[in-house]
Amino acid sequence: MTSVFTRSVVACAIALSAAAISQAGAQGLKKYESGSKEFWTNPPPDWFLGDETEAQKGLAPPAGPPTGSSDAELAATIKKIKLPPGFKIEVYASGVLAARQMAWGDNGTLFVGSFGLGNVYAITDKDGKKQVKTILKGLKMPTGLAFQNGALYVIDIDKLIRYDNAEANLDNLGQGKVVYDDMPSYVAHGWKYLAADKDGWFYVPFGPPFNIGIPPTSVSQIRRVDPKTGNAEIVALGVRNSVGGDVDPRTGKYWFTENARDWISDDMPSDKLNMISKMGEHFGYPYCHQGDMPDPKFAMGHQCSEFTPPVLNLGAHVAPLGMKFYTGDQFPAEYKNNIFIAEHGSWNRHKYQGALIKRVIADPDGKNAKQEDFATGWIEGDQGYLGRPADIVLAKDGSMLVADDWAGAIYRISYSK
Amino acid sequence: MSRLLAALSFCFGLLASPLFAGDIEAGKAKAGVCTICHGENGISKMEYTPSLAGQPDLYIQWQLVFFRAGTRENANMRSVVEDLSNEDIRNLGAYFASLPPMKNLKPDEKPELSRKGAEAAAGRRCASCHTDNFAGTKATARLAGQREEYLIKALNEFKSGQRSGGAMAAMADVAYQLSEEEIYALAHYLAHLN
Repeated sequence: MTSVFTRSVVACAIALSAAAISQAGAQGLKKYESGSKEFWTNPPPDWFLGDETEAQKGLAPPAGPPTGSSDAELAATIKKIKLPPGFKIEVYASGVLAARQMAWGDNGTLFVGSFGLGNVYAITDKDGKKQVKTILKGLKMPTGLAFQNGALYVIDIDKLIRYDNAEANLDNLGQGKVVYDDMPSYVAHGWKYLAADKDGWFYVPFGPPFNIGIPPTSVSQIRRVDPKTGNAEIVALGVRNSVGGDVDPRTGKYWFTENARDWISDDMPSDKLNMISKMGEHFGYPYCHQGDMPDPKFAMGHQCSEFTPPVLNLGAHVAPLGMKFYTGDQFPAEYKNNIFIAEHGSWNRHKYQGALIKRVIADPDGKNAKQEDFATGWIEGDQGYLGRPADIVLAKDGSMLVADDWAGAIYRISYSK
Repeated sequence: MSRLLAALSFCFGLLASPLFAGDIEAGKAKAGVCTICHGENGISKMEYTPSLAGQPDLYIQWQLVFFRAGTRENANMRSVVEDLSNEDIRNLGAYFASLPPMKNLKPDEKPELSRKGAEAAAGRRCASCHTDNFAGTKATARLAGQREEYLIKALNEFKSGQRSGGAMAAMADVAYQLSEEEIYALAHYLAHLN
């Protein structure tokens, strides 16, 4: 009797909340007039907020230490990092505030982008000591950069800029040359990542300027851009916020990480690792998340089976960013062609997860994918960070460098028997 | 998430994080030059210059880092912050955060304007980041009791895009939508909150 009663109460509650959701959905759809011209310069001010429940109030991206971690703090942090046997972590460089994507120059300069600080850094080696120099200032969210044919490429939110002969001109890079600018100017999910393929074209992600909604034209996609000609093509649709990817050395295909929508719950939906098998594939956003979860508002009759499923669900709110296939020779042989992913960690979750380096092993066609934690220890308590991994790059000797935009540092992870 | 998040984050977070506090006394020693404009004990008596007393530690630190990096532009601040070390910035943050917050003791002569300001603040969801009593938190500024004409200036700078506020540019996006009337009402309301 009681259970019947309970069940009908629960059923009523579900029906009521479904009604509330669909009503809110109609309002939400109306509110984001993403087809308007104005939307292109000024996305909705509450773009990062959601339809948060009472229990979710107060969840917000945490503020890191503005001056990064001091050397003493970093020394304490790396003692807490756990790695498989034989691996070791050390601090490669500190004082790299808000460090994001990294790229090597031909002569051994490590270029590093940053988040809202607007800096681009060059790290060089002088008598065994790392020197961090700010070579560009005042850019808008220069998270993504690449190095090719002697030139440094940097994304300044809506412009891809080329600085020629960069390593010889670290003291004065000049104005650079804009080689591609068909991009929206807003900051909201406008920060990018650059990954080059064998033809020298860059994969460039375009995120929607909100948590969830019908994307305005020309975003929620990944393009392939030729920096020589400024030509571009769309290679993937239905992508939310992707800030990392790499070309598979086995097949030449592009794999990328993707951050799923927020404000559903602590455990749903999962962030993803995807692979583009054929041009123009649709990965589901905003209709379907994690391959099997229709959006409560925006599915609008679509089925998840219409879209390309992820290679792997990485977990909810783990925030996968930069990734690299391991092509070096230093790590044990079983790591060859594995994928390492820098997970930035949660903010839209009561107990943070992620903030680690993940190892993924998958067949060239994306089958048989499995994952395990490789480097952990940057989370303290439920909602505390010692650091937040943001990108990975391999060094010539086969060791791995990790950029941490919370601590403002670069770590080196190496292996010896 | 997107990470979405974050840069300055849109709302610099409300969450606790293990941070190492600066040295208040060392910050006080370094703050001499600040008092010329920002006033004794961080209470500004100068037009268009904000009070710093009781601002959250991280807010002070972020603004100094932005000034130093050139992300936030102000001719007077540029020369002052150029040579600040990371340690100086931490100490200054700790010092100003330790001072009793600014208070506006003048009676509110325009309660109707304050009412409109309160309405605008609710409609624009200001408290989502600045907290319910507008005392600010973490990297989000204290607004309660701030100088009225400075608040107008700051909102106009966000509105025009001259100031971006933080990575996520939340303030620029919010302020873009504000009418002139709303800006005056918000500034009046917040300046008279204690």
